[in-house]
Amino acid sequence: MLFWQMAWRNVWRYRRRSLLTVLTIGLGLAFNILMRGIGDGFHEQMVDNSVRAEIGHIEIHRAGYQHDPALLKTLPDPQLIEQVVPHTPHLRGYSFRVLGDGLASTADNSAGVSIVGIDPRAERTVTTIDRAVIAGKFLDARMHRPILIGERLAQTLNAHLDDKVVLVVQAADGSMGAQLFHVAGIFRSGSPELDRGVVYLLRNDAQSLFVLPGGLTEAAILLDSSQSVAQAQNYLTRRLSGKGVEVLPWYVVEPFLRQFIQLDDAFFYIIVLILFFVIAVGILNTVMMSVFERVREFGVMMALGTRPGQVVRMVVQEAAALGLFGVALGAAVGSGLTILFAYTGINLAHYAEGASALGITTTVIRPELTASNLVFSDLSVFCVVLLVALYPAMKAAALKPVEAIRHI
Amino acid sequence: MKCFAVLMILSLAAAAAGPYPDALTVARKCDAALKGKTEYGKASMTVHTPEWQRTMQMTFWYDYPDKTFIRITAPAKDAGTATLRLKSNMWTYLPQVERVIKIPPSLMLQPWMGSDFTNDDLVKESSLPTDYTHHIDGEVTEGGDLCYQLTAIPKPDAAVVWGKLVLIIRKTDFLPRREDFYDERGVLEKTLSFDEFRKAGGRTYPMHWRMVSHTKPGHETTLTFSALEFDRPIRADIFTRQNLSRRF
Amino acid sequence: MAQIELGGVSKTYRDHIAVHALADVNLAIEKGEFAAAVGPSGSGKTTLLNLIGAIDTPDTGVIRIAGLELTATPADRLADFRLRHIGFVFQSFNLFPVLTVLENLEFVPALQGVPQAERARRAANLLEAVGMQDLRDKRPGELSGGQQQRVAVLRAILPEPDLVLADEPTANLDSENATLLLDMMERLNGERGITFLFSTHDPAVMRRARRLIQLRDGRVARDEVQAP
Repeated sequence: MLFWQMAWRNVWRYRRRSLLTVLTIGLGLAFNILMRGIGDGFHEQMVDNSVRAEIGHIEIHRAGYQHDPALLKTLPDPQLIEQVVPHTPHLRGYSFRVLGDGLASTADNSAGVSIVGIDPRAERTVTTIDRAVIAGKFLDARMHRPILIGERLAQTLNAHLDDKVVLVVQAADGSMGAQLFHVAGIFRSGSPELDRGVVYLLRNDAQSLFVLPGGLTEAAILLDSSQSVAQAQNYLTRRLSGKGVEVLPWYVVEPFLRQFIQLDDAFFYIIVLILFFVIAVGILNTVMMSVFERVREFGVMMALGTRPGQVVRMVVQEAAALGLFGVALGAAVGSGLTILFAYTGINLAHYAEGASALGITTTVIRPELTASNLVFSDLSVFCVVLLVALYPAMKAAALKPVEAIRHI
Repeated sequence: MKCFAVLMILSLAAAAAGPYPDALTVARKCDAALKGKTEYGKASMTVHTPEWQRTMQMTFWYDYPDKTFIRITAPAKDAGTATLRLKSNMWTYLPQVERVIKIPPSLMLQPWMGSDFTNDDLVKESSLPTDYTHHIDGEVTEGGDLCYQLTAIPKPDAAVVWGKLVLIIRKTDFLPRREDFYDERGVLEKTLSFDEFRKAGGRTYPMHWRMVSHTKPGHETTLTFSALEFDRPIRADIFTRQNLSRRF
Repeated sequence: MAQIELGGVSKTYRDHIAVHALADVNLAIEKGEFAAAVGPSGSGKTTLLNLIGAIDTPDTGVIRIAGLELTATPADRLADFRLRHIGFVFQSFNLFPVLTVLENLEFVPALQGVPQAERARRAANLLEAVGMQDLRDKRPGELSGGQQQRVAVLRAILPEPDLVLADEPTANLDSENATLLLDMMERLNGERGITFLFSTHDPAVMRRARRLIQLRDGRVARDEVQAP
């Protein structure tokens, strides 16, 4: 109790130095929290984009499709899936598709494409491709053999609205399937892969082209957020176990995305370490100086009978007091800024060009604040403070009273 | 004495060259045995997969090294589909949509009509003697025939997708018995075997070919030839885009 | 048995050359004595006090205090020994600047484990006994040099140690404050029977001691009782 009193008052004794240290800790932590928030918000957005552009939060295929896709690997029991999926927790929409590959050809050029047969109304509930249409219209069931192509593909094939495009495929019975489609719309999704290599057909047309009557390749499912994936996946896996399907979350369908996020996180951790190093140096400097200025005092304390362990405790308690103030300041400023930016958004329009090359189609980032990140950052910084203070504390405790007393 | 020494050296040199004939020569002879300056013929192609099986009839014209024309004549769904190659350009006519489409180079390795032969295999743009370097590995017996085993490695600038070819070639008439196709990593992808050696078009020819895929189990394609002619002049208007959509 | 016994004690400091601070010192001091160790600087008086005060250990010899053989006590127990048996008064900077006078007095009893209320009471009583109770909530920075030294003495005797060691306690004081300090020390020595051993080279201070231990070059040159 007495030592804590002394520690506390010592903090106020060196007011300016203490303030500087608290500021160092506080700002370092605040920056930490804000960066984490931006990183998390950014990643969440990337996932969201990818999910809403194409893959959905969860995909269901015939078992083995993801590893080795093939036209004939269609869903084994679509009716059952049609019954099970609507009850998925956190569900926002679902859509059944037919998938295959083929050649798209105009008089000028040909290109290999991925062909996606969709039900336009259902697809709207899952992806945002309908909002990416920049010319013409999104697919509609009333159209006759429409095809929706990406902007870059349209350029390659020199295809414009209402032009005819031939799709040539190898059908399910081995024969060559070829049909004429007319360009109903052109889209710009921002993702180079989609804009260059994917075409959309009405599902019935795709089934007839591929000679796949009633066949469906995948069910794509959209949830309310990527945090709900685990729960939804659990439900679907349970209800569909043993039915010969695979229930895959987005990060299995598109592992690159998650790997990118993990890599990004790794970079972040390096920055955090540098930050901690700066904070540590600040604390070390402060505590060492205050110890050095009180060598004689420590000498007197120990002469009077204070044990080395008690000296260590006192010095560490001083640092702890600084740490507490610093962490409180940092947590307040950090979360405050994160929430502010989450509200206003951080506009990246200047970097849109470079971002779209990475498949990032959003230009406004909203940072995220999670309780666990906040607590973890606070605790880590506080621990760094305590650990760093141990060194000068132990130096103080190792002083010999005889020499210390003589110290000016 | 000097004479004897020279003789010794010469025969040693000859011995060092090996007991086999020159590999390039063997390759040339094999190529010439399978191809003429021109070819015309009909074939029946059957594609077997674990899921389905189809048979097509086709007629073909080759004018080496630059021109190829193939037309499918049966079954009705595919009849009229035709492929033309001129140098390194390739077009296909699709009767269902009455359109000619150009096949980009990126799709040359795609299966032709779902078979185990690729577009590239069928149009035969590459040439065994000119695009590869050769080496005779030894002698083997295959199907009762004494054969050379020849390994062909593509030349660095050759537009060839294989890492290596191994051919088993009959010593008697240099016709192939078998051809193994290896990718760049040395994995055996498919094997083409030649059978039913008979007289046709004035030469002995394997009338039955069988391509087996090693990467896709259960996939194989067989070709059975009929009506073969070699080295007869072919009308120029065969190898034109107009010919693709012509009624036949 | 004397309260403090030294037998054959010597201490050498090694820097670039060996300095024999004390050489073969034999001494016996009884309980309740009011003694001064005197001599020119470098004579070893500070070393003597340090050794008796258990903040340093001799190279040779035996030191006994209140029956306990200091020299046989392990180093990590010396702090505890000091806590319970010795009071210190230094030349200057005795008090902790962040604590009030009262709290400074409470410091050692707090280390000893005396509960807060009890030790506050004792400290307050002591201040009153010497008429210094209005200083109780002041910080050392607000006191004069003389006041600080007097408070230091009070702090030293409050836990009722066996002896109080004061190393040149009047060195930074004017003669009036020096007198006041010695008055207090003498009075506490008389009232409570606490042994006082102080070092000094001030003749005025020497005159107040009842026993003079004269040191020269690390040895006891003269040791005699004198009339005050």
